[in-house]
Amino acid sequence: MTGILIGLVIGLPWLGALVLWRVSDERPRLQHALAVAFSSAAGFASLALIPFASAETAVRIDVGRYFGELTFVADGLAVSLTAIACVIGALAVIFSMDYMRAEAQLSRYYAFILLFIGAMAGLVLSGNLLFMFFFWEITALCSYALISFYNDDPKAVAGGVKALLITQVGGIGLLAGALTAYSALGSYQVSDLLAKAETLPSNFLALTAFGFLIAAAAKSAQFPFHTWLPDAMEAPTPVSALIHAATMVNAGVYLLARFYPAFAQVPGWTLAVTLVGLVSALIAAFMALAATDLKRALAYSTVSQLGYMVYAIGVGGVLASQFHLLSHAVFKALLFLAAGAVIHASGTRDMRRMGALGKQMPFVRNVFVFGALALMGIPILNGFWSKEMILEAGLSHGPIWALVGMVMVAGMTAFYTLRMTWLVFFGEARESRHAHEAGRAMKVSLGLLGLGAWTTWLLIEPFSALLQHTLPFHGISSLNLSELSHEIFAAPLTYAALIVIALGLGIFWMVRKQAAGRRESWMDVLSRESFGFEWLNRRVASWTVGLGSVLQRTQTGVLSWNAVGILGALLIVLVFLVWSVK
Amino acid sequence: MNLSPLDIVLLGTVLLLAVGFYGLLITRNLIKLVLVLQILVKAAVMALALAGKSSGNLGLGQSLAATVIVADTVVAVVALALAVQVRKHAGTLDVTKLSSLRG
Repeated sequence: MTGILIGLVIGLPWLGALVLWRVSDERPRLQHALAVAFSSAAGFASLALIPFASAETAVRIDVGRYFGELTFVADGLAVSLTAIACVIGALAVIFSMDYMRAEAQLSRYYAFILLFIGAMAGLVLSGNLLFMFFFWEITALCSYALISFYNDDPKAVAGGVKALLITQVGGIGLLAGALTAYSALGSYQVSDLLAKAETLPSNFLALTAFGFLIAAAAKSAQFPFHTWLPDAMEAPTPVSALIHAATMVNAGVYLLARFYPAFAQVPGWTLAVTLVGLVSALIAAFMALAATDLKRALAYSTVSQLGYMVYAIGVGGVLASQFHLLSHAVFKALLFLAAGAVIHASGTRDMRRMGALGKQMPFVRNVFVFGALALMGIPILNGFWSKEMILEAGLSHGPIWALVGMVMVAGMTAFYTLRMTWLVFFGEARESRHAHEAGRAMKVSLGLLGLGAWTTWLLIEPFSALLQHTLPFHGISSLNLSELSHEIFAAPLTYAALIVIALGLGIFWMVRKQAAGRRESWMDVLSRESFGFEWLNRRVASWTVGLGSVLQRTQTGVLSWNAVGILGALLIVLVFLVWSVK
Repeated sequence: MNLSPLDIVLLGTVLLLAVGFYGLLITRNLIKLVLVLQILVKAAVMALALAGKSSGNLGLGQSLAATVIVADTVVAVVALALAVQVRKHAGTLDVTKLSSLRG
C-alpha cells in the first residue's frame, strides 16, 4: 500500500506534466482543469501517505550494481515534506487559475510546475543518494524553467540562469558528498550512511558532511549563495510561492535535517551550520529592511526564515527546524499568493506606489495580515510557536552570541513585515488606482492557507510523534500541546523575544512617515549589492568569460594543429605507461 | 634480429600509424584527408586484432575489428559525399581555405 501511494505521489504529477505538455494552448480551460485535478489528486495521495509512515524501506527496485537499489523510504521527515510539497503545490495551482487566466503557453507553465512537485516528492522520499541527486537536479531544472517563464523578458531569463548556475554549485557538492560516502561505504543507501557513519574514516565523513552543507546552502539560498533567490522573483507569483514554500528551498533544510545524526560528530560541522544560518538570517533581514519591491522583500524574508531553520539544525533542534519549515511553508505561501493577488490587481510590484489598498481588497488584506503576524512570530499564530521552539533549542545547546543574533533577527523581521504590510495596505494611497478584489480560485487558496496560519501549530503532537517513531537515528522526543505551551510560556526567553519583536514594531511605527521615501540611502545600495556578493558574482562571471576567450584560441579549426594535439596526448600517455610499468 | 609474427604485425601497425599521422599533418586536400584517415583507422583495426590475439581473446578482438571496419566504411562514404558537396559549394577542396564555419 505504501508503495502504491509513493508511486501515486510521484507518478501523478509527472503523468499530469506529460499530459499537459500535449494539451494545446487553444484550450486554456482544459489546461487549468487538468492541472488542478492532477495536483489535487497528488495532494490527497500525499496526505493519505502520512498514516503509512515507517522507517522501513517501502519500495526496492534493483537497477544494476553501479547504482545500487532504487529505494523509497516513507519516514516521518519524508512524508511531512511530501505533504507540504503536494498540498501547497496544489493550492498554488488552484491560485494560478485566476492569476494566469489571460497568459499564453500554459502547457509549459503547468507541465513544469507538476514536474517540479513530483520531483520534490521523489527527492524527499528517495532512500538512495544517487537518485536523490537525480531528483535534486530535476528540481533545479524546473526552477530554472519556471523562473524564466516569461522568456521574452531578459531579466527573467537572467534570473533563471543565475538560479540554475548557483544551485549547480550545490548539486556538485551533493554529488561529491554522495560519491565520497559511496567510496567509503560501498553503498548509496541513506540508511546505511546514517547507521554506519561512525565507522567511516573521519576525513571521508567530513568531506561528505561539508559537501552536503554546500549543497544545502546553495539550494536553500543561504549565505554565501543567497543571491539567486531575490532575482528569482521575476517568475510568475504562484511559482515564487511554490519555490519558497513548497519545493526547492525546503530541499536544502531537508538534506541537513536528514543527515544531522551522521554529521553531528564531524568537528566544526554544527558550528558551520549554525554560522551559515545566523549570517543568512541577519543579512537577509537587513536587506529586507530596505527593499522596495514587494516580492523581493518577501524573498529576503524567506532567506532569513530559512536561516532560522538552518540555525536550528546547527544547534541540534531538528524537530524545531522541521516544525518551523511547516509553519513557514504555510504562512509564506499565504504571503506570496496574497502578494500575487495585490500585484495582479494593482499592476506594480513597487511598494512605494501602493498604499491604502486594504480598502479596495479587504479579503486579501485580512489574509496578508494573518501571514504577516505569523512571520513576525506573534502569538498564537503558527510562526510564533515554531520560532520560539528554535530559540529555545538555541538557548539550550547553541552558543549564546548566535542566540542573541537570532533574537535580533526576530525584531528586524517584525520591523520589515510591518513596513511591508503598512506600505501596501494601509497609510495613504500614493497613487490613485483601482484595484479589484481577488477572484474566487484565489480566495479558495488564500482562505485555506489563512486558516492554516492560525491552526497548524495544533499539529505539534502528531507531527513530533511521527518524527519520533519513524526516525530511529535522530533521537527526537515527542511533545504534546500542553508540554509545548508550558515550555514556551514558562521560558523567559519567549518574553525577551516578544519584547524585541515589540521593539521592532514600535521603531517602525515611529518612522512610518518616512517609510515610503524615494531617496536612495546607503542601505539600498548595500542590499542591492547583497553585501558585495553581487560584485563577486559578476567577477566570477567575467573571469569565466575571460578564461573562455583565452581557451578559444586553442580552437583553431586547423586540422594539422588538432593532429599535433592528438599526437602530443598520445606521447604523454605512452611516456606515462612506460614510466608506470617500471 | 629475430622477429615473431606478432612483432611484425605490431611493426606494421606502428608504420601505418606513422604514415597516417604524417599524412594528417601535411595534407590539405579533403579527399586525400579521407584517405589518410582510412590509413589511420586501418592501423587501429590491426591493433585490435593484434590485441585480441596477444590477450587470448581472439574472437573479441576480431569482432571489434569487424565492427570498426563497418562503421568506418560508413564514415568514409559520408565524408566523400560531403567532399563532393564542398567542392560544389565552395569551389575548392583545400581545407585551409574552408573557413566559413570558423567561430
